[in-house]
Amino acid sequence: MERDIYAYRCRRCGHVQYPYRTICCNCRANDHNEFDIVPLPKKGRLLTFTRLFNPPSDYSTVFLSLGMVELENGSRITGQLNIETPEIGMEVRAEVEVVRRDEYNKYYGMVFYEA
Amino acid sequence: MRDVYAAGIGITSFTRLEYPLVEIAAYPGLMAMRESGITKIDQLYVANMGAARVNHQSGLASAVVDNLSLTPAGAETIENGPASGASAIKQGFLAVASGMYDTVMVIGAERMREINALEATDFVATLTHPLAEHIYGVTLPSLAGMFARLYMEKYGVTSRHLAMVAVKNHKHAMDNFYAHLHEEITLEGILDSPDALTNNPVVADPLRYYDMCPVSDGGACLILTAAEIAKKTGKPMVRLAGVGQATDTHAVHDRKDPTELLAVREAAKRSLAMAGVKPLDVHVAELHDAFTILEIVESEEVGFFEKGQGHIALQEGYTELGGKLPINPSGGLKAKGHPVGATGVGQAHEIVLQLWGEAAKRQVKNAKVGFTCNFGGFGNNVVCLTFIREG
Repeated sequence: MERDIYAYRCRRCGHVQYPYRTICCNCRANDHNEFDIVPLPKKGRLLTFTRLFNPPSDYSTVFLSLGMVELENGSRITGQLNIETPEIGMEVRAEVEVVRRDEYNKYYGMVFYEA
Repeated sequence: MRDVYAAGIGITSFTRLEYPLVEIAAYPGLMAMRESGITKIDQLYVANMGAARVNHQSGLASAVVDNLSLTPAGAETIENGPASGASAIKQGFLAVASGMYDTVMVIGAERMREINALEATDFVATLTHPLAEHIYGVTLPSLAGMFARLYMEKYGVTSRHLAMVAVKNHKHAMDNFYAHLHEEITLEGILDSPDALTNNPVVADPLRYYDMCPVSDGGACLILTAAEIAKKTGKPMVRLAGVGQATDTHAVHDRKDPTELLAVREAAKRSLAMAGVKPLDVHVAELHDAFTILEIVESEEVGFFEKGQGHIALQEGYTELGGKLPINPSGGLKAKGHPVGATGVGQAHEIVLQLWGEAAKRQVKNAKVGFTCNFGGFGNNVVCLTFIREG
């Protein structure tokens, strides 16, 4: 099943914001729920990254690879990386996968691969 | 608004403390009252970030006001993440400036070592955006790692510059009895020697162990009062002359240029403008170096140096004790320690001590204008204070 991460397009000014804000960060003028829900694109460019060697206790991996990506539509997102040797500026593509599990829940988010 | 003065200070060691949080908060309060001779407190503000989660205690201020037998004075707990301390000072300032109270006690206290380091990092990670950051396993060190990589690429800062911040602040802390880390380190030991990867392992690359502050317990206190009462203490008159606060996006990726800390820039500008001074009028500063990279970037954003020049100033010794503008003479968060809710009050403690001329071996000569930057979240809520010694 193809999954998406959704962003919120303001019906007043057209700005696409992610994550959700009750009031649009661009026009600061919308009324309640004046957004269209739009899927975020899954291609983009890696802005920066890190390998975290003391990941939170919900993870059992040696390190967690994290990055910020600028997507094709200009939106930015923080996600996990599944890339051996990441480089700033490289083209990446995303899959939506489980990115965290705790006792009760699993959470889906973007995992990036080399494009 | 009437003028507000810093009339009393107190502090515990920032380290692992084996006594209850309420006493970690109370002890610096006792010190401040005893030293200043001020015992009539109208209102207590207690800055704390995690007592409810970490120490299973909520309503901390109610416990502290009773422990100090200051009842029936008013008491409030202030939580603003790692900027709780300076936020509580801001509330105290407003209370005295407005004339509502004559004397307020501001305490910052945190006991993070009651849990292990991993749990403590998880606790601090609750500051991140729940849906856009936290679910991915993002923690503060990882945000700092991503920030540092981008910044280093853009401005030519190297791991060596970052290590210089650590070496400097560890050296400063050697003369601070209350500092967490009394451990002199060298570039050789943490960077160049064959053992450096063991001594100084990678935590969130490019950041390594010695680029991060320790997890500390600790408390600090600042008594704020009106001029007439401050005069009676016999201490030099130190006025809290500027209070500035600013915010930025919750998710770090949302910032137009993620290498800029706009909340620092704005909060510093507001604080200095209110005090009527310019960045280069500052003689001594305590900046929020939870990660070494932050000291460099904050020193630029507050206006001490041009953007991209902070690491050069550091390298030339401009920011060490004996330099033109010493930054973090206390050892900073890096070596003095970072008991999150207490940190902002701890920074003010150091500046007041410096402006009183009582900082002993780490005294900055003729310091008259002091500045603190207390950085909440990853730069999403910043409070800057400017202190001026009169006369």
